[in-house]
Amino acid sequence: MKVEKTNYEKKGETKSFLSFRLAEEHFTIPVMKIMEILEVPKITKIPQSPNFLVGVINLRGAVLPVIDTRIKFGMSPIEYTINTCILVLSIELDGETIIVGSLVDSVSEVFELSDEMIKPTPTIATRYRADYIQGMIQEDDHFMMVLNIDKVFSTLDLESISESKDAKVTEE
Amino acid sequence: MDEMKKVYIQEANELLDNLESSLLSLEENPNDKSNIEQVFRVMHTLKGNSSMFGLVKIAEFVHDLETIYDKIRQGEMQLSEAILNTTLLSLDHLNRIIIDSELEEEINKENHSKLIDEIHSFIEVGSSEKINSNVSDNSEALDSELTSEGTKTYHVYFEPSSTIFLDGSNPLLLIAELTALGKSVIVPHFKAIHHLDKFNPIHCYTYWDVYLESACEKTDILDVFVFVEGNSTIEISEFAYTDLLSNQSFLDVTTGSIYKDLKTDITAIKLLAESIGVSSKEKAESKVEVSNSKLQSKKSETKEKALTSIRVASDKLDELMNLVSELVTTQASLSLFKEKHETPELEVISENIEKLSRRLRDIAFGMTLVPVNNMFSRFQRLVRDVSMSLGKEVDFITEGGETELDKSIIETLTDPIMHIIRNSLDHGLELPSVRESQDKTRKGTVKLKAFYSGVFVFIQIIDDGKGIDVDVIREKAISKGLMKEEDELTDKEIFDFIFNAGFSTATVVTDISGRGVGMDVVKRNITDLKGVVSVDSQVNVGTTLTIKLPLSLSIIDGLLVDIQGVNYIIPLSVVNKCYEVDNSDMVKNFNRLLVLDEMQVPFINMREEFGYAKLDFKGKSQLIVVSDGENEVGITVDYIVDEYQAVVKPIGKYYRNQDFVSGATILGDGSIALVLDTHKIVELYTEHIKMELK
Amino acid sequence: MAKKILVVDDSESIRTVIGIALKNEDYEVVFGEDGQHGLELLQENEDVCLIVSDLNMPRMDGISFLKEVRTLEKFKYLPFLILTTESQESKKNEAKNLGATGWIIKPFVKEKLLAVIKKVIR
Repeated sequence: MKVEKTNYEKKGETKSFLSFRLAEEHFTIPVMKIMEILEVPKITKIPQSPNFLVGVINLRGAVLPVIDTRIKFGMSPIEYTINTCILVLSIELDGETIIVGSLVDSVSEVFELSDEMIKPTPTIATRYRADYIQGMIQEDDHFMMVLNIDKVFSTLDLESISESKDAKVTEE
Repeated sequence: MDEMKKVYIQEANELLDNLESSLLSLEENPNDKSNIEQVFRVMHTLKGNSSMFGLVKIAEFVHDLETIYDKIRQGEMQLSEAILNTTLLSLDHLNRIIIDSELEEEINKENHSKLIDEIHSFIEVGSSEKINSNVSDNSEALDSELTSEGTKTYHVYFEPSSTIFLDGSNPLLLIAELTALGKSVIVPHFKAIHHLDKFNPIHCYTYWDVYLESACEKTDILDVFVFVEGNSTIEISEFAYTDLLSNQSFLDVTTGSIYKDLKTDITAIKLLAESIGVSSKEKAESKVEVSNSKLQSKKSETKEKALTSIRVASDKLDELMNLVSELVTTQASLSLFKEKHETPELEVISENIEKLSRRLRDIAFGMTLVPVNNMFSRFQRLVRDVSMSLGKEVDFITEGGETELDKSIIETLTDPIMHIIRNSLDHGLELPSVRESQDKTRKGTVKLKAFYSGVFVFIQIIDDGKGIDVDVIREKAISKGLMKEEDELTDKEIFDFIFNAGFSTATVVTDISGRGVGMDVVKRNITDLKGVVSVDSQVNVGTTLTIKLPLSLSIIDGLLVDIQGVNYIIPLSVVNKCYEVDNSDMVKNFNRLLVLDEMQVPFINMREEFGYAKLDFKGKSQLIVVSDGENEVGITVDYIVDEYQAVVKPIGKYYRNQDFVSGATILGDGSIALVLDTHKIVELYTEHIKMELK
Repeated sequence: MAKKILVVDDSESIRTVIGIALKNEDYEVVFGEDGQHGLELLQENEDVCLIVSDLNMPRMDGISFLKEVRTLEKFKYLPFLILTTESQESKKNEAKNLGATGWIIKPFVKEKLLAVIKKVIR
């Protein structure tokens, strides 16, 4: 996977973030949370599981659950292309650290962000649950949502992330 | 130092656990001498460790406790219930101050002084101690007319006994140590060395005069010889003079006695010293001759504690497990390869490797298995304390303590079982008077039982108390809308309502249990372990609570099957029989029963259950009859691939809510096979049947 | 050539502490958990030049260990220090009579340990 690094103007301490795409939207999460990035192997579905749980894969001898992140965000299920990949994430769930695979349409780039650069999400703006989004950053003419990845994957139930279906996102 | 403190804390915790068991045993058998010895020995070790780490408050506290038990084992005091209670409370306190060693928390400070007072009161009552000062120190205190900052000259006469070498002592090292204290002249005497034919090489024949000029004190010199006082003659005299050693005539006189037969004449030397002309204050000779003390050969009986275990860091164990799992997986690949490339030598090698890895895995996985006794003994204390505070008399019996469970499972179970036992004691068992009026034994019984059955481990908590009235539960369930009046449910199903959140039927919320938040948490803890919990009870007879857990799912021997191209594993231990059946028999089948071997076998069409494509009407399927210990059900699969030794890996929290798959394994070719939870499947089947009957 | 010391004590805390003190002085240390274990280790490590042993140990206590060691040809005169506490006066003497070279009183500081060891080995 080729990933490009761009440097934004830094203010204060910065952390590295990776951005990825789900359908038409861009999200970004701290690189620290990402253990590796995989091409999509054969995924074994476990019967009678909710449809956002695509199945499990063999990651060097460990059994890794894989989640269709698009379904989690209330989008249509993932459509596999050559750019589709799995982000192997380390997240905190119920006080434990677990590893989970997140299917995304593509990964974009790594860049540095400081806390000041993350702006609060306009409250009416997003159609996603407020606690999943840490904030937003602006890159050129479009916005990227900075995800609180622990929260995103903490809901074990089928509920998708849409909170208010009618609200419109103010992004150009 | 933090790492070391951790070692101390870990060991201290073990010592305290050990103490608690011994004390509880002592309560049953107050006269058991070996227990008292054990208590004393463990306290002693704890005290030693604590003082090594500078934890003075703890060391002193334990010292006081130890004093009580020392007196008891010497027969000066008798063990009483009061002492035992205080000791147990002290153990609880110690558990807390191991971490708060400076007593920074208020509560610890309070408890500390309270307990010390209690302990002291015991000691004083039983005390007939007199402080014996056996120290008869002939050396007078040095006169202060001496210029104590100046150096003095000492004369040290050192005659080791001939047998000094026998205990490993080396007089030369002592001389070296002595002379390191200052400037010295050493005068060895070889007079006593015999002729070669009478010479015993392990005997010491040499003795010394040493003139030492040093600012040290006499005690420092005595210190050098502390180990050999018993088998040497040591005389130390102090001259108030300095500079003797640089005086030639002094040197001549002293060293002149080398090789001569003479024992040094101290008086002569003193006179000489005097005449050399420094102040004539002479110090008392101190002849330090310590004779062998009387042997008290009380042979201490060392209780044979079978040292059959060693402590292993758990991350080492984890790594071992992982490696063994990898080995088993790799060995599976080897087997696969062997199938494809039939070579006789490879066959043999592969089989050997298979045997070895099987043994290795059995042993390795056996290591995380720990007898439930560890957990059971923790409850002894609980039962004792709780029953006492409730005024109930209880016999606490354990059965099957040697049954082994995975250590982490035991840890998860401890809290739920504690809660259940509390319930039994609080709500189950009646007060002694009540029991007597019902012709029951005064003492109630709480039994903790563990055993294997099939591929499960059972843990039961059984009491002979007043039981649970199923009708009361029924009423409550109806009033809570959990069931309807006309519903026909088995007793077992009605009792299951007890595990619903907020379902407590206790009218008074006691301190100990009964807030109604307990049982649902208990159930959740157990289902998290993929186990089930159920209750059975009879009014006035008693209550039995049964926990059923699948055995540690680490490596199982299984049957590898295929359903629509997906591999599944069915544990061999639950498989009774396999049949081949025609799909047509199944498809048309409305009552889900097949007749096989003249028996009616209920079956489940797994393809349907899993939502796969429908069966090919004309084809055949394999029917695998599995049992959950009670019922039998047939599971249909497309075909059976092979027997397979599966290293089962968890599939994670996300799959907590589904029923069929309890784990996954990696096959030789890297693909994943899912392990079926046949127990659940059988349970669900029974649901199906019920629903269809309606 | 480092001097090898056999340290026998059933308490892991004590072994750890002594081990650190000795290793910092470039002594080579072998650890045993009780007298029985100590004997086994002696057989495997004949170049031990000093034994430091606790008294209270399970399976075989310090006194028994000492007695056993003193019956073995190779270790008859091997320096042997016991670890004891103030309250064990009689033990000190008993040990001495049975052939112990000396003792170290617990609790002890590192300097004391090293000083005592210097009394009995170079």
